Amino acid sequence: MTNRPRRPVSRRQVLQASALALPGAWALSSCAREQPIGAPSSSASAGDASSSAGASASPSATGIPIASPQNPVKWPINPGNEPIASDLEPEPNATLRLYNYPDYVWNRVLKNFQKEYADYNVTIELSTFNDLPEALTKIRSGSVPYDVGFLTYNYLGKLVYGDLIRPLNHSYIPNIVDAWDSFQNPWYDQEWQYTVPYTVYTTGIGWRSDLIPEDIGARPDPYNVFWDTKYAGELAVLDDDREVIGMTILRNGGTDVNSADPATLGAARDAMLEMLSLSQPRVTITGYTDIPEGTLSLSQCWSGDMITGQYYMPEGVDPSVLRYWSPPEGNGLIGNDFLCILKGGENPVLAHHFLNYMLTNDVALENFGWVGYQPPMKSLSPDTMVADGWVPENLASAVVRQEWFDVGYPLLELPPAVEAEYQAIWQQFKAGA
Amino acid sequence: MGGRLQRLLWPILGLPSIVWIVLFFLVPLYVVFCVSFGDVDPIFRTPIPIWNPLEWRFDQVAVVWDRLVGPDNFYLPPVLRTLYYVIIAVVACLVISFPVAYFAARYAGRYRALVLALLVAPFWISYMMRMLAWINLLQPDGLVNAVITMGGIVPLDVNWLSGNPFTVVMGLIYGYVPYMMLPLFAALDRINPSLLEAARDMGAGGFDLFRRVVLPMSMPGVIAGTLLVALPMMGDYFTTDMLSKSPSTSMVGNLINLSIATPGQSGQAGALLILLLLVLLLPMVWYTRSTAKAEVRS
Repeated sequence: MTNRPRRPVSRRQVLQASALALPGAWALSSCAREQPIGAPSSSASAGDASSSAGASASPSATGIPIASPQNPVKWPINPGNEPIASDLEPEPNATLRLYNYPDYVWNRVLKNFQKEYADYNVTIELSTFNDLPEALTKIRSGSVPYDVGFLTYNYLGKLVYGDLIRPLNHSYIPNIVDAWDSFQNPWYDQEWQYTVPYTVYTTGIGWRSDLIPEDIGARPDPYNVFWDTKYAGELAVLDDDREVIGMTILRNGGTDVNSADPATLGAARDAMLEMLSLSQPRVTITGYTDIPEGTLSLSQCWSGDMITGQYYMPEGVDPSVLRYWSPPEGNGLIGNDFLCILKGGENPVLAHHFLNYMLTNDVALENFGWVGYQPPMKSLSPDTMVADGWVPENLASAVVRQEWFDVGYPLLELPPAVEAEYQAIWQQFKAGA
Repeated sequence: MGGRLQRLLWPILGLPSIVWIVLFFLVPLYVVFCVSFGDVDPIFRTPIPIWNPLEWRFDQVAVVWDRLVGPDNFYLPPVLRTLYYVIIAVVACLVISFPVAYFAARYAGRYRALVLALLVAPFWISYMMRMLAWINLLQPDGLVNAVITMGGIVPLDVNWLSGNPFTVVMGLIYGYVPYMMLPLFAALDRINPSLLEAARDMGAGGFDLFRRVVLPMSMPGVIAGTLLVALPMMGDYFTTDMLSKSPSTSMVGNLINLSIATPGQSGQAGALLILLLLVLLLPMVWYTRSTAKAEVRS
């Protein structure tokens, strides 16, 4: 068999291919003329972008109410998704599947649950997700029958309307009385129909005092440290659009961290781009290891990051160099995560027992000792957490107080069109434009 | 019968690769198109692919197009930055690889196998592990700074991991240089030594020999190596994520990655991917044409 030379692409073929590509190019350019920047990415997302500032109390374009402290929501219970009956025995030989962020629950606590329910031969299987969109996608796909989710309130509406979450039967969870009163009837889930609280946190600034001797908290406006050229290249902000935009709104003098006002968002965008040019921040959620290790000197972080950061200190460095600041009166970014029972799970009774177990005082405290994120339990008094050794003196400011939830600014779910505006700002920031 | 079997032999042997390409390239590519020209779930913000091309919507592609060439074209800086990083890294890979490959092909003698093994040695360790190793080495108190400052004697304060473009380009070079070395070695190894001797006999000195004989004859290797290195670099997001984490070094791959991770923006990620694909098709077509021409000539 002879080797035939391959026929090169002819000029005619190139012209034909180009002609085929022309309609595509025309479509691209014509669409570009029709669509303004930052417009919703689909007709479905066309919503109330022009609604007044404070999207918090307005319903979204999707018809799902948006819960906020000013607009508490009691979610419906979908037909066919009623709570389980009372007094049922936990499922025997069950594998209880938990779905959580990485490093956000202590393994020993899970093993102890298995021991406590040894009579039922329970096994716990922990899967992790990196962010909530990923979690929601996987929960919706139903590929794994997760029983319990460790999630956040700004996704609760989607979980309820998607029929992905199971209402709770309160008779299985008597330990709720040990949680802070405000979480026994939270604004995001009135009458705690679907959730029990897991952790509370503030968003602030963490740093190592040996690398940054300045007392950042003593500045007139500590947020301005992210716009300070003095620390260029040494600092980072959270890899979370809402947290960074929210902080920038506060730094600009605003208080509505869920604003839909174009002027507020435009000012936040400009300030964030200015931050890029002044301090070249990195973008990461690993401040809890990066700051202790000295890879970063200072970072926007969650309060729990610094408390857990003390266990990541390099050899020879005293954990007392860690510092944390958030507004001392509590009027900063604040939030909490919750536990819920997912509808796709196969062990709803055992899942109820697990929620109750996690609300047991000793268990919650034991877990806090490892994850660093504070459980909202009455037994854990913010006034004595330092004296009792739960939090070191240098990180006393990372303790979260119940009353701060009355004055702090939670990051709420946004209407899709407003969410698209936030995403566009974040993309512009992350593009390093 | 024998003739018919012979005629069918090669198509049959080629069938698995064709099936592979259809299943794992063409079908996924079509899905990307359907997502890019598709819709978004109003509640969950997940993509709803539109399978019928006649019903495709161009909203998401339009947003991307506008961010590239519109008045507020904030996608353009990362695109230009990517080109800039890739050009520097490819040239550096070429400069580093050529002498090594030439040595391995011409002078390594009985150590040739060893040299080749060492060339591919970085492949034995995962890319992520290699980047993690660099993070340790480049820490403010890491080995690199210890060497540069001679154990702290020289007062230099270099933070390599603070969004430093040099570090990112260095990471790209380090990560992809073996892909350049192997095709170069193959091309240089194919050069008949008698041609080099003939050139010397004709009076071609060191540089002339390289410019007039070695370089032209190694061009297929240079082109193949350049494409092998440049194409994955264009879509790389991991290197800058690991070694910089700063928006000031974001590349196109980071934009795509961010869009994929953002609810409601999978379509925009797909649109970016399609645009990147169209750009990358040009050098691929050029490469295919040039190799076809070379084959015809030979």
